[in-house]
Formats: sequence, structure tokens, C-alpha cells
Amino acid sequence: MNIIPTIGMETHVELKTNSKMFCRCYVLDTDLPNESLCPTCLGLPGSLPAPNKKAIEFITLLALSTNCSITNEGMFHRKNYFYPDLPKNYQISQFDLPVGTEGSLEIVVDGEFETVEIERVHMEEDTGKSTHIGSGRIDSATSTHLDFNRAGIPLVEVVTKPLIKSSKEAVAYIEELRQLVIDLNISEGKLEKGNLRFDANISVAYEGDKELGTKVEIKNMNSLKSLEKAIEYEISRQTKMLKSKENIIQETRHWDEKKEVTSSMRSKEGSADYRYFSDPDIPNMILSEDFVNTIKATIPVLPSEKRKVFMDSGLSIEDSNNLGKSSNWIGDFYIQVSEITKDSKASFNFITGELQGQLRKLELLSLPNWVTAKNLSEIIILVNNDKISFTSAKEILTKLIEEKLEPEEYAVSNNLIQENDIDEIGKIVLEVIDSNEEVIIRISDGEDKLIGFLVGQIIKLSKGKVNPSVAKELLLKEINS
Amino acid sequence: MENHKLSISKINKLFKDKELKPSELYDEVFERAASTESIIHGHLTLFQEENIQKALESNTRYEKGEHLGPLDGIPIAIKDNINISGHVTSCSSKMLANYVSPYDATVITKLKKEGVLFTGKTNLDEFAMGSSTENSAFGPTKNPWDPSRVPGGSSGGSAAVVSAGSAIASLGSDTGGSIRQPASFCGVVGFKPTYGTVSRYGLIAFASSLDQIGPITNNVEDAKLIFNSISGHDPKDATSLIATKTEQPNLNKAKIGIIKELMEDGISEDAKEEVYKVAKLMEAEGHEIVEVSLPLTKMSISIYYLIAPAECSANLSRFDGVRYGARVSGNTSSEMMELTRAEGFGPEVKKRILLGTYALSAGYYDAYYGQALKARAMMKKEFTDIYKQVDYVISPTTPSDPFKFGEKSDNQLEMYMSDLCTIPANLVGMPAISIPTGLSSQGLPLSVQIMSPANTDNTLLDFSQTLQSLVSFIDKPILNRTEK
Amino acid sequence: MTDKIDIKNVAKLAALKLNEDEQQQLEKDLSMIIEHFAALSEMDLPDDKISIHPLGMSLNLAEDIASKSLTHEEALRNAPDSKDGQFVVPPSLD
Repeated sequence: MNIIPTIGMETHVELKTNSKMFCRCYVLDTDLPNESLCPTCLGLPGSLPAPNKKAIEFITLLALSTNCSITNEGMFHRKNYFYPDLPKNYQISQFDLPVGTEGSLEIVVDGEFETVEIERVHMEEDTGKSTHIGSGRIDSATSTHLDFNRAGIPLVEVVTKPLIKSSKEAVAYIEELRQLVIDLNISEGKLEKGNLRFDANISVAYEGDKELGTKVEIKNMNSLKSLEKAIEYEISRQTKMLKSKENIIQETRHWDEKKEVTSSMRSKEGSADYRYFSDPDIPNMILSEDFVNTIKATIPVLPSEKRKVFMDSGLSIEDSNNLGKSSNWIGDFYIQVSEITKDSKASFNFITGELQGQLRKLELLSLPNWVTAKNLSEIIILVNNDKISFTSAKEILTKLIEEKLEPEEYAVSNNLIQENDIDEIGKIVLEVIDSNEEVIIRISDGEDKLIGFLVGQIIKLSKGKVNPSVAKELLLKEINS
Repeated sequence: MENHKLSISKINKLFKDKELKPSELYDEVFERAASTESIIHGHLTLFQEENIQKALESNTRYEKGEHLGPLDGIPIAIKDNINISGHVTSCSSKMLANYVSPYDATVITKLKKEGVLFTGKTNLDEFAMGSSTENSAFGPTKNPWDPSRVPGGSSGGSAAVVSAGSAIASLGSDTGGSIRQPASFCGVVGFKPTYGTVSRYGLIAFASSLDQIGPITNNVEDAKLIFNSISGHDPKDATSLIATKTEQPNLNKAKIGIIKELMEDGISEDAKEEVYKVAKLMEAEGHEIVEVSLPLTKMSISIYYLIAPAECSANLSRFDGVRYGARVSGNTSSEMMELTRAEGFGPEVKKRILLGTYALSAGYYDAYYGQALKARAMMKKEFTDIYKQVDYVISPTTPSDPFKFGEKSDNQLEMYMSDLCTIPANLVGMPAISIPTGLSSQGLPLSVQIMSPANTDNTLLDFSQTLQSLVSFIDKPILNRTEK
Repeated sequence: MTDKIDIKNVAKLAALKLNEDEQQQLEKDLSMIIEHFAALSEMDLPDDKISIHPLGMSLNLAEDIASKSLTHEEALRNAPDSKDGQFVVPPSLD
């Protein structure tokens, strides 16, 4: 019988508000510790939480964009546990009345659409940062240093249903969620900065089993690569255990980036009793229909909608998905170009390959204003009509980014127009055949790779103006005749 | 001089008429402190030296006719669970014995703007948990009427210093009666405002859904004056109410309900007599007196001792030795925290933390905390219905007159019962005032409590003023009498 | 109903180290109080939606306008132990 894995993802998204979730301290990106603190986020006696309106707007936007139902009356709860980086020793979170429930997110896996089901989207606050001082290993640390700048920064936790089937799907889900929060402009979405942090709940069971297997939570995956590897490692670990009838225990395991294994975390064994209860410092939060409608009206074009537009222009799912990850103006520019060239694939390749490549090299964030859909399309059409070579196209593009020019005019005046006249090319072909008798004999004997050498000779002789494919065609015809 | 027993408005008139200077009153109050503190121990800290300059500034303002309002130059004591920037806020706990607050509570900011002079910080039961100040880590406060008796609690210090005259008024906090019960024991006025009318920002939380700051004063007028200066919406407190409508003063004859369940077993004859006496006086004034039944008040103690400990169990989690306060060292941070909390908290605080932790823990939540929330909601309904029939409800403030030290400390439930009459107002969120009305057979003060619907604080205060003038309670504590 | 209180577990959850005497005393005290709750626990009460605010007010959200509050020095002034601008505690295990 087949063993199949089941994966659920819990993702924390750090919101980019000006101030923290429950106080008005700056959300700072600084290496100076303990700079942005007030009585509330430091948990001083007598301080109280004042929830941030912008954060609630942001989470509502995310919940709506993942097709969640929005609760009309939300509550904040206290999640109680003692840990030095948690200033109040309880975290303000949401328990039974989160902002959003029962949503879904369309993702692209291997060029196909899949749907990830979202269980809940809730609001909470971040903890401070612990640095373990000592010999590098947590269990031999001599002390822990605490910086509370991060404490109280708004976090949205997005929890999926345990229906994800592979590491690839999990990675595609995180990529999609990341793109979504960037497009919604609610988070920086930088994994390397911890703007998105994810844990995976993994279990395995025999296909057809009604019950899911024992759930194991994996923490400490800092990149998509480690997410993929950790899930795969864990699936194979659990599969082996299931096959040999070993008992899988419900626990939290830590992904070891260096050893590429998961290992059990000692102190959190046994299920924690968080004693959730409604935070008496925060009244129930009414999310009125008006409020929800106002937020709904601000939803921008979503990644899934962008994909659809690109697919309608003729691109594949995969290309559409990739294009969606570029800045919005690139996508818009692509649409304009593809409408002129009537060649979506060529437009996509030229824009995402050549144009974006050049911009990156020059560290440009946008196009010079004289680079328009019209003149860029002109270059693509010149290539498509075999008027110029791809190499020439690249040259023209480089020039175009430097200064204003008309691509066709430039091609003409710089002698880049290819020779397509068969008679003219034929003469050159014969000339090359005549002066390379020995090579022709070797080709006849089967040394096909020398054909390329002769094509090169033809192009050289024509000073690069001959279309290589036409030259090759004529050359073969002559040899075989 | 006997200015310290005058009403604030009379003092203000003397200031304005230049018959008395703020600095003179300030000195008088500290003279009272010098002669009474060694006996009653109401203040934990006195600010005499550091505030003398502020008293002189107040003098100047009155000289120039630029005083800041009726509270300018008035010496007021602050319960030591309310933060004043730059001062220790100890909550009468070893945990915070050396904790210096870097910020002002909102009520302090407001009083500072009015030119109030703080006399110091007053003693309380540790973290406001108790009814006698016997739970203070720094020794109990004694009742000015009889130092062998408790001043009540938890705002025992705040009540005792007003009674003894070492402050003109004080601020206390009231979670289940912590303003009204000690006010009653010390023969002064104690007012717990509607929940959410006074900002809790800067008040060290005991039970967030019940806590409310309020004044302890010599008379109802003073309570009203202070209440109106400390109340108002505060964006830093999300539970703070936004005033929507102004109150309609009830000038007509009122209908008053005596709560049947608070006139039964467990209430002393003396205490009941006071209620009947006051009822008669009011009836004579043309008000109507009826008996009302609020059956769930009998459950008050149980509801309260589930909700308050549950909330406190989380509120007091922050005292862990990491960022401030006492620390006992340990090999790991969790060991350090456990030892710090074991050493820093006194027995009553530990008991309530454990009780609340238990009530919230897996498997017990529904039977205990969840059930208490439901009963609280029901009790609120009972009161809402009663207020359709009557304007005010009255009861004794306390089941008996002040008890002796040690008398109830061995019987926790009996101690908890001393809040029987005061707890409902906290559970329901409505305003409640305790007004001294007479003396018990032992010559100790007794009070009557009046309550009214939420957001009718000024109406209640005005009505209470009428009552106060009817009973004309002029007796003084033994400390004041022996001095003369 | 009377539930026996597992004082050791509750103390662990509350991060309180109790000695043997305290454990015994508190177990006795708490059991007595919990017994007193029996009448309330057994009441049949409606399962209405609860408002955590006693007056049932709903939340007013605060505008996202940031401001500076405590200075670095103020934040660390009460720290039992600090180094390099950080709070220091004995090693904490994840």
C-alpha cells in the first residue's frame, strides 16, 4: 500500500505598519537593540494595549484576498506561556474568533493549478529576539541576550488545512503567499529578513486510511530551499518509521540547516496548556459590513488575476506565473508589447530575459521614458521577420536603453539588416564550398559537426548579414546535390 | 489649624481669597503625617521634600490669579499601584520594592495638569489582593479609629490617610470593593466610577475587567470634583468609554431599592440598621423605598473569585525578573523566573495566581471560568431589569464594622465574604459609592452603599450629596479626637 | 463537582516554585475555595455570546501614527542585568 504525506503550513507574515500592533512605537529595522520601546511593548506594569487600525485593515485585506469569510465580531485572546522574549509572558493573539476563516489560495505547481485551503487568518504580536551567548550551541549557552525592538510588531498568522501533498506544493504555496502580500503592499515579504516565517505540520499515513497520522511540527526553516529539504527529510523519516511499525510521537522538531536533518526539541514536549482566554484589556472588535466593503474596494489586481490576464494573452501557466512575480509595470509592459507583436512567447522571452537582464545589470528599477512598448515591439518584430539576428536585437536594446532611437533605422544605418535574398546568399555559399573542398569531403564522410564551421564561414564572408538558418539550408542543399 | 478636614471647594476659596496658601496647607498635611504615620502607616513613601517647590509654585499661581483649577495646590495621596514617573511603584510587593516607573499613569498626568500636590504613595494589600492591608509586604496600615483594627483593603492606606488628615483626598483602585470597603472602615467617602470612565493606563492591573480607579475623600463634593478631573476617554486604554450623552440630572423624587439578598445572613445587625435608618431619612424626604431581589448577588463571591484570579494569573505573569523588578538567580532562565516569582510574591498573591491558572487550565475552563462569565452576564441582566423599576439600589457597604488584625486572616472564605456587598458593582460595571452614615455599637464607622446604572456617575454623586446632608456624619476617628 | 487540584502542574504552568509546605497549604486552601464554587458550576446558564467589556462596548482602533516613547536608557534602567544594550538572563532553552 502507498504511504502518502499530509502537510499543513502555519505562516507568520510581518506587516509593514508604521507603528506596532498594540502601541505606537516605530516598527524599526535597526541593529541597535532596545531602541523602539514603550511601557506597553516592554510589558511594564500598568501598561495597556491599543490595537492598530492599519494592521486590522491589512489583515482584512489579506483575508479577503484569500477568499476568507470575515468575522463580524472578532476577539483578542491571551495565549499564556513563560519565555524571556515574551514581555508579558502572554502573547495577545486570536483564538476562536479570528479575522478570517475558510479561505483558499490558487497556486501553480509544475505548470498546473492547485488550490490550498486556508483554515484561518488571525492577528497577533511578535516576540522579542533572543541571542544565545556561549559556544554557539543552544544547550551550552552561558546566557541569553534580549532585544525587544521586534516585540509587538503586528503578525498575521495564516494557517492552511492539512491538505498539502508535497514539498513542492508547500514551496509553491509560500511563493504564492509571498507574492500576494507584496502585491497587497502589506508586508515587505522578505524571507531573509524574517518577514515571512513558516512552520510545517507533517504526518504520513497509508493511502485510504481515514485518520491522519501523528502530526509532527517542523520549525526553523529559513528559506524555501530548507522548507523543501526539511519536508522531504521528514516525510522519508516518518515513512520509514511507519513501515517498520515504529511509534511516531507528536512533537516539535527543529530543522538543522547544516546537517540537513530534523531533530527533537527537548523542552516543549507534552502538549502545552496555553490557557487561552479573552483579553479583558481589548473589547470585542466589530468588523462592520461597511468596513469590510471599504477594504474590499482597495484590493489590487491579485497574482491569480494577473496570471489569468497573461494566460489570456497566450502564455503558458508557468510563464504566466513567473511573469506575475515581476514588478507590476513589467507585466503591464508585457501586455502592451504582446498586443503589438502578436507573439506572446517572444514578447515574454525578450522582456523577462533580455530587458529585465539588462535593467538588472544597470541596476535600473524602471525603464527610461523613451523605451516604449512601440519601439521595443519593433525590435521583437525585426527578429521575428528575420530582418535582424537575435544578437543584433540585443545590441539595439542596449543602445535603446542608453539613448532614444528608432530600432529599424538604427539597424539599417548600422548594417544590421540580414541578407535574406537567396540568390545573393547562394553566391556566397558556392564561394565557401569552392574554397573548402577538403571539409566537404569530410562532411560527406559523416562529420556533420563541420557544417556549423562552414555556416560560420558564410556568415563571416557576408559580414554577418546572412540569416544563419537560410545559409545552412542552402549549404546542405548544395552538398547533397 | 484644621484646614485638612475642609472641603476642597472651601480650601480653594481660602486660596483664592488669599486667606490660606497652598504651601501652608501642604505643611499642615505633612505635620499630620508626622504625628499619625508612626501609628497608622498609611503612606509607604512621602514626597514632602521633593514637592515643596511645587507648593510654592502653586502659591505664586494663586497670587497672580492664574491658578489651574479647583484642585490646584490640593495635597492628594496616591495608592502605590498607580505609576508616577520617577517614583517607586511597589504594589506593596517585594517584587517591585525598587521598581522606579519611567512613566505617569493617565490619572497622574491629569492631576499634574491641575496643579495637584502628591503627598506620597499609600499602602495596599500586595497587588491590591486583600481586604485588610495585612497582605502588604511592608507591614499593615492601621485604622485611625482604632489601631488594633484593620483599615480595610486593598486601598487601606489611601482610606486611612484621608481619615487621619495626612492628605486631603486620595486615589484608590477598586476591583471588588477595594475603594469602598476601606472607605467604610475608615469613615470616609469612597467612590468607584462606572467601568471605563477613568483610564486604567498606568494602574498596575489586578483584574482588568473589574479594576477601576476612584477617589477616597472626606465628602461627596470632593469625590465628584476629583472624579470629574480624572475621568474622560483615553486612547491608551482600549476599554475606556467614549462619552456619548450627557446625564440628565434626576431632580425629582427617586425610587430606591434595598437589595434583599444583601440584607440577609452574614450581614451584621448594625450594618442592616444603617440601611434602614438611611431609608427612613430618604422616605421622609419624599423618596420611595422598595425591596428588590437580585438572586445572583448570592453568587457574587464565586463569580468574582473565578474571574479576578483568572485575569490576575495572566496580568502578573510579567513579573519574572527579566526586564525589571526583583530577580533571584538560577541556572536557566525558567529556573530564574520560577525562583523570582516564588520569592517576590506573598502567599495571597500566589494563591490567587494558582487559583486563576487552575480555573483557566485545560479541562476546567468551561466548568469554572466559562461558567463565571455566563453568570456575570446574567447578573448584568438582573441589574438592568431592576433599574427599569428603581433609580438606585442600596445596601450596606460592608457586612460589619472594621475587624481586628488577625481576626479573619485564618479563614480565607470569611475574609473574601467581606466584599460580598461591593463585588456586584464591579461585575456589572456600574458606579457605586460608600457614604459613612453612623457608628456601630462599638463606636466604629458604618456606611451605606448606593449604586446606579452605568454612566450615571454624576447623577449618583449628586443624589449622594443629598443623602450626606441628611445623615450629617460628623464623627471623627480616635486619632483626631485624642489630639484635640 | 469537586475536582482535585494538581498543585504541582498548576504551579509549573504559573512559573511558581513551591516548597513542600507551601504545596500542602495551598492545595488545602484552594480545594476549600474550589468546593465553594460547586453551586455556581452546577447552575444551568444560557450560552449567550459574551462581551468581555463589562458594558459591552466595542473596540475603537488606534490610528497608525508612530511616536518615540522610552529612551534606550529608560528602557534598561530597571533591568536586573544588562550588557551591550540588551537585557541579560540565564540561558534559555528553546
